[in-house]
Amino acid sequence: MAGETGETIRPRREFIPWDDLPVERETVVGIGTVLPVVVLYVLIAVLPIAFAFWASLHNVHTLNPVWEWAGLGNYREVLNLSTFRGSLIRGIIYMVGSTIVQLAVGLWMALVLNRVTRGQKLLTAVVFTAYLIPTIIVSLIALRVFDPQGGVFQMIGAEWLSLWEAREAPLGSQTWAMPLLILIGSWKFSVFITIFTLAQLRAIPNRFYEAAKVCGANRWQMFRDITFPRIMGIILVVVLLRSIFMFNKFDIIWQLTQGGPGNATTTLPVLAYKTVYTDQAYGLANAISVVMFLFLFVAAVAYFKLFNPSEEVETTT
Amino acid sequence: MSQSEPPGGIFGLSYDGETRIFETLKLISTAIIVLVGAWPIYWVTQLAFTEYETVEDVVTVFPTPDIFTLGNFVVLTQPRMYTYIFNTVVVAIGTIVTVVLVSLIAGYGLARLEFPQKENFARVLLIGYLFSPIVIGIPLYQIWRSIGLLGTRIGLIIALSAISMPFAVWLMWKYIMTIPEAHEEAAWVDGASRWRGFRDVVVPQCRPAIIAAALFAFALAWNDFTFAQILLPQTDTTTFAPGILRAMGQAQFLPDAYLMAISLAMTLPPLLFAYFMQSYLLKGFQVRAL
Repeated sequence: MAGETGETIRPRREFIPWDDLPVERETVVGIGTVLPVVVLYVLIAVLPIAFAFWASLHNVHTLNPVWEWAGLGNYREVLNLSTFRGSLIRGIIYMVGSTIVQLAVGLWMALVLNRVTRGQKLLTAVVFTAYLIPTIIVSLIALRVFDPQGGVFQMIGAEWLSLWEAREAPLGSQTWAMPLLILIGSWKFSVFITIFTLAQLRAIPNRFYEAAKVCGANRWQMFRDITFPRIMGIILVVVLLRSIFMFNKFDIIWQLTQGGPGNATTTLPVLAYKTVYTDQAYGLANAISVVMFLFLFVAAVAYFKLFNPSEEVETTT
Repeated sequence: MSQSEPPGGIFGLSYDGETRIFETLKLISTAIIVLVGAWPIYWVTQLAFTEYETVEDVVTVFPTPDIFTLGNFVVLTQPRMYTYIFNTVVVAIGTIVTVVLVSLIAGYGLARLEFPQKENFARVLLIGYLFSPIVIGIPLYQIWRSIGLLGTRIGLIIALSAISMPFAVWLMWKYIMTIPEAHEEAAWVDGASRWRGFRDVVVPQCRPAIIAAALFAFALAWNDFTFAQILLPQTDTTTFAPGILRAMGQAQFLPDAYLMAISLAMTLPPLLFAYFMQSYLLKGFQVRAL
């Protein structure tokens, strides 16, 4: 009988003799729990990037996988490619323009949402809709409203503001394609900044503002001395993330203009895609991918070194 | 605060005056946000219910009875569109299941177990944000082709799951840290194994985080264009986003009003989630999963 009651307390005999092994059981189980993530990462990140690097050293036709050693020839070709430099510059314009617009709009929305008292549920729903709505839908709507035939924004721009000709498609014009791409993208992506900033704003205790009020501070001073220092960290993080995402943005550009007219909206991702499927130069496209990855990696490391946003992340644990 | 600054509001306004201006600005801002945010949804809806001949050549703002029609939704019955939507749903569900399972287990391990390089693992996880669908997709195209995953939904699900991982794992990790370990210890004292404790004590309490992670995985899968475009190259077995774009490119009978009708159908699930699940979405961001 005594054996039966003791049974629940005494550890069960293990199939694996943990006590004799040089590693702790907890270590093995712990590593086991993150193993699926590691496998996914290896499969989707490490392997493709290694493969891209290896492929970039060869001349490969997209549909005909005969690999011909080219050494660093592809990289030389990429750097001499006239479209590469143009695409890099356009990509940076797109990235910087989008990030600035999104930061301004996103911060403004967050500050308003944080202070709104009525209709908060509806407002939050509007904000989240923009986050959840598929990019292709945004593009389809944009293509519709900027269509010269019955598009409402095309009409407003042509007839009321005379920004373009009545029969002209703004998304197909050299001057308007890029600004419109930035604005259309910002409709969807500004919300990203809003959501992150809002979470941080909600975490500021109200007593800070009450104390400031007692001391006779006005709203600007409260913003400058209480709100702003508190959200500075998260702003640096979202600016980094948004810049990376916009630099890598392919879907909305391809859906709206396919990089045209001419090369007016061809950024690096679009150039890489075109190189694979239009020029069938798979090795060259991989060289572009590797250059893009290195560019981002260097930018991200520099940013982390400069501002250390991870400190901000770690303090919230 | 320096002495030279006037007491009270900005620009020497009285405190009440400042409050009044502030309230007005807030009201105007709210109106602008709602208008700009909701306008495209309204526009899709009204165009979806307008006869397609009208949509093609004049600007209308409301489907009045003489141009109102339900006929545009006939596009949903086209076998091709049906396949696109079906594929999108399958990929979304597959991604959600994979992401939730993997991130729950990894989150638990990070929160509760000690193992070497844990902090570094979490840091490396953030590099996941550097993954660009185009940089990953181009090499993945050949890799998937050589192992036979090109053109399969599984291949797309794996790629999308990996992309959602940094967010989901951080979310679960931080969320499980907020659950007191004493709950599990109570189960262990009663003889439960670690696995039982995880399954019966931790997982039920993680419901909000699970729903949040599922919602974000859904948003990612529903939204995806680049991966599907590269990894599902066959036009008739692809998902909605690349499928509809290619269908537009081919000279076929597909007027804009039809496109708006199908867009409305694809917007409805996210719209409903945005309205009814916003507390979970907010929770997801409040634990600051990055």
